[in-house]
Amino acid sequence: MTNEPIVSAQPFVMDTAFWTATAIFLVAYAIIVSEKVHKTVVAIFAASLMIVLKILEQHEAFHVEELGVDWNVIFLLISMMVIINLMRPSGIFEYIAIKSAKLGKGEPFRIMAIFAVVTAVLSALLDNVTTVLLITPVTVLIADALEIDPIPYLISCALASNIGGTATLIGDPPNIMIASKAYLTFMDFIYHLTPIVIVLMVVYILTIKVIWGKKLKTKDSLKKRIMEMDERGAIKDPVMLKKALFVLALVLTGFVFHGALHLQPATIALFGAGLLLLLSKTHEPHHILAEVEWPTIFFFIGLFIIVGGVVKVGLIKWMSLQILDLTQGNMFATSMVVMWFSAFASAIVDNIPYVATMNPLVIDMAKQLWPKLSGLQLLHHPDLMPVWWSLALGACLGGNGSAIGASANVIVIGLSEKAGNKISFMKFMAYGMPIMIITVAISTVYVWLRYYVLKI
Amino acid sequence: MKAKDLMIPLQEYLTPDHTLKEAANFLRIAGRGEEKIGVKALPVLDTKGKLIGILSIGDILKAVYPKYMYQMDLGSFTWDGMVETIAKKMADRKVKDFMTQMVITIREDAPIMECVDQMLKHNVKRVPVLNKENKVIGILYERDIFFFITNAMQNSVEVQNDE
Repeated sequence: MTNEPIVSAQPFVMDTAFWTATAIFLVAYAIIVSEKVHKTVVAIFAASLMIVLKILEQHEAFHVEELGVDWNVIFLLISMMVIINLMRPSGIFEYIAIKSAKLGKGEPFRIMAIFAVVTAVLSALLDNVTTVLLITPVTVLIADALEIDPIPYLISCALASNIGGTATLIGDPPNIMIASKAYLTFMDFIYHLTPIVIVLMVVYILTIKVIWGKKLKTKDSLKKRIMEMDERGAIKDPVMLKKALFVLALVLTGFVFHGALHLQPATIALFGAGLLLLLSKTHEPHHILAEVEWPTIFFFIGLFIIVGGVVKVGLIKWMSLQILDLTQGNMFATSMVVMWFSAFASAIVDNIPYVATMNPLVIDMAKQLWPKLSGLQLLHHPDLMPVWWSLALGACLGGNGSAIGASANVIVIGLSEKAGNKISFMKFMAYGMPIMIITVAISTVYVWLRYYVLKI
Repeated sequence: MKAKDLMIPLQEYLTPDHTLKEAANFLRIAGRGEEKIGVKALPVLDTKGKLIGILSIGDILKAVYPKYMYQMDLGSFTWDGMVETIAKKMADRKVKDFMTQMVITIREDAPIMECVDQMLKHNVKRVPVLNKENKVIGILYERDIFFFITNAMQNSVEVQNDE
């Protein structure tokens, strides 16, 4: 299959619309990278331009799956945020964090390793940003109690959240987007990505042991501060906690079976959010809904429309032809190019706009390779599957490559600044880039071995 | 009755380069009217006498409170000696890094109701009073407005009798 001749694409015209859409796309992405204007503002304005300038019809932007907003992604994100917002005041996250620190018996490295694992697991089940927001304050508190530098703990948390988030469909926005476009189920991710993420986490723990294991020291008298903390005091609302855990368990079960149930993940999450809102007996849902990260949601909405514009005019098709030209239709080479390019691209650009662009590109590439196929036969072509997984691994793990590679990193750095000890761009990269290269290298071996040698 | 009639004329003030240790001491011994019993806040003026901020005892509390604790409920996981350790670290930090920069002010000839309006809407207990050259000439305290109101209440009986 790999050497099948490439069927030439329908020629597309590089007309005014083509160049207008391309210009909007490039300028918008450049401004997003430069951070001169807030990314959400750029995305909304550029998206509106795509419609005002008649690149896209409003109907296409709002209602056509291939060209417009991916509501599956939007509703999955909003619903998960609502569930977490309702769960947060119960104190469960404080409880988990304090309990983890006590499990570490006040030993600095042991605590770091346990926090890394807890962060990775939470990141796999919730989104990375939420996890980091919930874990890092406690991390700094524990470091303060032990009178040691909190910076290694903060960096470790960010890196672990990006690795852990790679494991599941809901763990990291790139996965949510890929799943939606490629019709992959929650269990597909569990089957294909979770095993390698477990391996990556083991390697990660060993790596941080080498880096920080011997440097982190504290006095026995200070360890007592940790052991004297009573995590049970964290639970503020046990009734609400039970309801929230029940709904979360229901939602996770729903995710496991969503393929069999023929329900989209967004439906499952929306049901969970609705049910928990009902059970919380809130009379005023205003503040729960207000706490949804609307800037992130609108960033997605804007990006989907911008990318829809360049899909429609053929820029994405042109780009996919370039990749096929480079790899000569060799699917292993394509997977590798996609994985490594994604990793470095995601380290430089936010991985959300990157994946928003790559999804239609991969689909277009598949259309060139197998012009007679369509629907799931095309999207789930056995030769295409490793490309999806390579994209997910590259884009998620690439987030570790730099301070701006993932939202979790940005939050951790913001927090370190507030704590009066800023992590510089280069300092983050000194740890993040090697971790990115190690994890992507291991993923490379994994993809090669599993899909091209063992073919399982 | 105007703001300037109820205010207490400016006596002490801070500069942005005072350390927190010095500022805290000023707050403890500053005069409020006749008495040297300490005040809850002092205006911060630059070298030209321009108002650039206000430092309250609340700001001193915030200086020893770790920012990350705002994000979660961690109060019950703190330890003996935590405040003292941070206080020692913060002693030599500058006032300019901890003062409140958005100061609610009032003109000297503002009616008292305008002062009440500002205090309630911005939830402050004291407002610096500015003259026409935008110089701070005094501080108007919530307590003095309270006394003004109680006086008005007591006089109300007489007003009605006059009619």
